[in-house]
Amino acid sequence: MEVAAERWMDRALRMAKEALENGEVPVGCLMVYNNEILGKGRNEVNETKNATRHAEMVAIDQVLDWCHQHDKDPAEVFAHTVLYVTVEPCIMCAAALRLMKIPLVVYGCQNERFGGCGSVLNISSANLTDTGEPFQCIAGYRAEEAVDMLKTFYRQENPNAPKSKVRKKECHK
Amino acid sequence: MGARDRDWGPGAGRAAMEPDCKRRKMEEPADPPWEALLVLPELESQEIELTPAYAAPVLLRTETSRLVRELSAARPLTELPHLKRVRAQGGTQPLEVLLCPAGPLPGASRTLAELLPDGRVDVRGLGEPFLVQVPARAPLTRPQFEEAARHWPTAFHENKRTSQALAGRLFTPQDKAAMGAHMEHAVRAARRGAELGMVPAGAAVVDPATGQVLAVGHDCRNGLHPLLHAAMVCIDLVACGQGGGAYSYLDYPACSFLPPLPGDGLPYICTGYDLYLTREPCVMCAMALVHSRIQRVFYGVSSPHGTLGTGYRLHGRQDLNHRYEVFRGILEGPCRRLGQEPAAR
Ligand SMILES: [Zn+2]
Ligand SMILES: [Zn+2]
Repeated sequence: MEVAAERWMDRALRMAKEALENGEVPVGCLMVYNNEILGKGRNEVNETKNATRHAEMVAIDQVLDWCHQHDKDPAEVFAHTVLYVTVEPCIMCAAALRLMKIPLVVYGCQNERFGGCGSVLNISSANLTDTGEPFQCIAGYRAEEAVDMLKTFYRQENPNAPKSKVRKKECHK
Repeated sequence: MGARDRDWGPGAGRAAMEPDCKRRKMEEPADPPWEALLVLPELESQEIELTPAYAAPVLLRTETSRLVRELSAARPLTELPHLKRVRAQGGTQPLEVLLCPAGPLPGASRTLAELLPDGRVDVRGLGEPFLVQVPARAPLTRPQFEEAARHWPTAFHENKRTSQALAGRLFTPQDKAAMGAHMEHAVRAARRGAELGMVPAGAAVVDPATGQVLAVGHDCRNGLHPLLHAAMVCIDLVACGQGGGAYSYLDYPACSFLPPLPGDGLPYICTGYDLYLTREPCVMCAMALVHSRIQRVFYGVSSPHGTLGTGYRLHGRQDLNHRYEVFRGILEGPCRRLGQEPAAR
């Protein structure tokens, strides 16, 4: 179990690195069902111009596609899927994971800005009406590597991210 | 209030007398006039928190200004800068002066010598110290200010916009007409979604700078994708209008977006835009709107799982990097009837 978790997390970290190289927030994740990867995701916000395209949301889409292709019931598949993700899911993704009824999330470092599994809010275990099921979390797998990548990203990206874009647009008018 | 009631009365009566009047279709005569009600953020909606402090009566009134001067120098209220130093209890009661915060676990009674041991304040004219509960934070709204002032005189920098909104004076009749028209897009989309077996919830994104409706959509969770709630659909439709997007809405013609004009500068995601939702969004959608940098959200009715007023108030948290304004009650009647009415024609 431990060895398998290490292996999955290693894959997730490599995807986060790929995201970093593409100028996206370095978060990578895998959805594993019966020892098989059904979904992989990394942040795709810039490519899609959609701020909700976090790694977890991308991976959920892939699992749904796999279910369609293999004629499997998504409810049954998600109920036995483990998410491995390099960073604590944000509030939005934690709610999405509840809605999909994923039972277990293994993650690396805390998400101090947006975390939905305890850092900002505890969506993972909260008692919420009409918002799926709570899920279990195992935190701290390869946390240092995950947090180092985030630090690198925010050091490079933050000063010239959305603000300067908006300002540029305003100058055109 | 009275004037608006009168304005509404004859209009509603006319609509009732002219059943063919198309403009009145959305708002049935039975609907009372709606109000856009500000949904305050968490800090603004909370009751005032209190903290213990030591105060003392000023027995020699002529010493008051000297005492205030010396206390301000020796015991500045750095943690409680919103508090006034002196309060007048009225009548023949002596003035009372705040000495210092009492800390989390105050001893029951302290003498002046214990509280002001360094001799920097000449205690001549002061009576025995006593514990008093004072507001821990500056009040943010007029109701909070009024509550705070009952405990100890407090400074208040009134946020004009918040006060206007709380008093229902933020929007002109023209604003409200436009808001109602925008919400009608969302209501219509919800009905068309419901005809396809979708959850009857709709949404519309508007650029308030131009009044243009940029995207209209309905909940697609029963069809296209289990996470495509109405707000998520509209966020993605805006992305489609900016040349991005993650999903195709070909099977859902009521989900549409305004194609960008060539050469038009586009903002970053939903920055500066307004979202109209027939009902209060869930926590996933409310956080998606934080990520999308939406400017304002207008919704029709509250929902049990709602997180913009009902459960969490996710739109105004100091610990998140973006905040937005929220108003509820827009076109409340038609929004409430969604899902309760027989399938629309
Ligand atoms: Zn997320
Ligand atoms: Zn939702």
